[in-house]
Amino acid sequence: MQLLVEPVARLIDEFSRLPGIGPKTASRLVFYLLRAPEEQAQSLADALRDLRARITFCSICFNITESDPCAVCTDEKRDRSVICVVEEPLDVIAIERTRDYHGLYHVLHGTIAPVEGIGPDELHIADLLPRLDAMPPVREVIIATNPNMEGEATAMYIARQLEGRDVRVTRLARGLPVGGDLEYADEVTLSRALSGRQTME
Amino acid sequence: MHLTRLSLINFRNYARLTLALPPGPILLRGDNAQGKTNLLEAIYFLATTRSSFARAERQLVNWQTMERDPLPFARLEGHVRRNSNTFQIDITLLPSEKGTIRKEMRLNGVKKRALDVVGQLNAVLFLPEDIELVTGSPSARRRYLDVTLCQIDPTYCRALTQYNKVLSQRNALLKQLGERGNHETLPGRDEEDQLLFWDEQLTEQGALLIVRRQKAIADLDRLGRARYRLLSDQQETFRLHYAPSFDPQRRPLLDYQRPLSLEELLPSAQAELTVSEVAEAFKQHLRRARREEIVRGVTLVGPHRDDMHFIVNGVDMTLYGSRGQQRTTALALKLAEVDLMIQATGESPLLLLDDVMSELDAGRRARVMTMADGVDQAIITTTDWSDFTDEFRAQACLLQVTTGRVESVTLDVK
Repeated sequence: MQLLVEPVARLIDEFSRLPGIGPKTASRLVFYLLRAPEEQAQSLADALRDLRARITFCSICFNITESDPCAVCTDEKRDRSVICVVEEPLDVIAIERTRDYHGLYHVLHGTIAPVEGIGPDELHIADLLPRLDAMPPVREVIIATNPNMEGEATAMYIARQLEGRDVRVTRLARGLPVGGDLEYADEVTLSRALSGRQTME
Repeated sequence: MHLTRLSLINFRNYARLTLALPPGPILLRGDNAQGKTNLLEAIYFLATTRSSFARAERQLVNWQTMERDPLPFARLEGHVRRNSNTFQIDITLLPSEKGTIRKEMRLNGVKKRALDVVGQLNAVLFLPEDIELVTGSPSARRRYLDVTLCQIDPTYCRALTQYNKVLSQRNALLKQLGERGNHETLPGRDEEDQLLFWDEQLTEQGALLIVRRQKAIADLDRLGRARYRLLSDQQETFRLHYAPSFDPQRRPLLDYQRPLSLEELLPSAQAELTVSEVAEAFKQHLRRARREEIVRGVTLVGPHRDDMHFIVNGVDMTLYGSRGQQRTTALALKLAEVDLMIQATGESPLLLLDDVMSELDAGRRARVMTMADGVDQAIITTTDWSDFTDEFRAQACLLQVTTGRVESVTLDVK
């Protein structure tokens, strides 16, 4: 005998498939929605539907967007001679928050990880190359993948693909976090920071 | 250094144990299957954060607890005195429903990575099955080298972790390239580009492993030679040779899979090369093996294929040693390991001897007792008090193990 009526059980199942949500949290969410005003449940349902219906990937930079091409790629004020390559859409937001970057982006949607069967063909790496021939020409490609093993593997692969092209390829600096404490930095970060030290100006 | 206190909860057959331990020799007597070895395993676990016995760490958690308790766990805690400092290591094992196990390690109550805990307490474990280091497969000898080096060299430990990660990624990539490609020609530009990063990481970390192994084996060779000479009453000469999977001093051979013969190994075993020299040679050997590696889908050269050879009077013990020579070789290696640790840390490690006396003749027993007397602390298991001399027993701490309980005893002197 089923203890819960089908619609309740089904939503609990759906919620518990989401990352970070177990069966208990899922049932708490479902019973909250049952008691909440109907508009709230309705608006959640709409939001979910719109997520898939209205969001697509930008055909130029592969960031998530409502209109293709995306707002960054169509923005006349942005510097079209620089492209920043990132792993995920969230990384775009992180870099935008600095307000220091005014160029374009290129979202790979992952990193090279042979163990998980992800090679360059599973990522938007090949799509980066034709973008370099655009007018005005791209002067610089900033590779902003994460400083872990997979991120470094991806960065090196991209750098190799760009070899021989008339473009400057740069990598984000690695080292100490601002506001951090030397004594709490791990050895690897600290030794990277040492080898990447800079002359005081 | 020595262990002043050991507490176990739900570890193997110990439901709950708290034991104060004095410095000096400690004799642990008990019949079979009472928990003598488990106690040594627990101490070695605190030193290396892994078990030298269990195939799965799940086996370490008391099985009754596993069946009875809603949230089963095992906990090991040791108080160590080192250089007039005391500190505490504890490890908690938490089995999950999926059959995996989570390890939480703390140093003085602060959560740490395994990397930071290994090497805090140094221990050398002597087992009757040590002879398998000589007779067994190269992988057993590599594991032995890794565990020993990790205890005294944190840089090695870090490089090893990194190397193994890179190796599994690289093997996965080779397999994918092999399934895709055409094997008649050399790999194309794109394959090379994909391999480039993993090659660089593999050679960089691998070269460090090779250089450190070479150094450690040269030390063990020197120290082991002195130990073996004593054990064999000056009769035989012992040598330990490193057999890396490629010769870092030579250009790749045409047939790189041909095992290097002993004569070929000798010169390079002496010379000390820098990490970058070895990395460069490693790269050349990888390039040479490229097509074969893609066809077979696995990394064919590197420290994960290293070996070492035990040579007594010019004869390879793994292949031609007598049982007695093999046993003496294993014992000499372990004794050399004790010396190596003293050399590296300036302090004597804990000796853990599991039932090794029964295998030795009277002369060698005496040597083991002398050695156990010379270190800060030695814990020795036995089934029979009479394996030890009266003088040795008189100055040792005597403990009796009965079904997961440990009691101190005094023997009537006959």
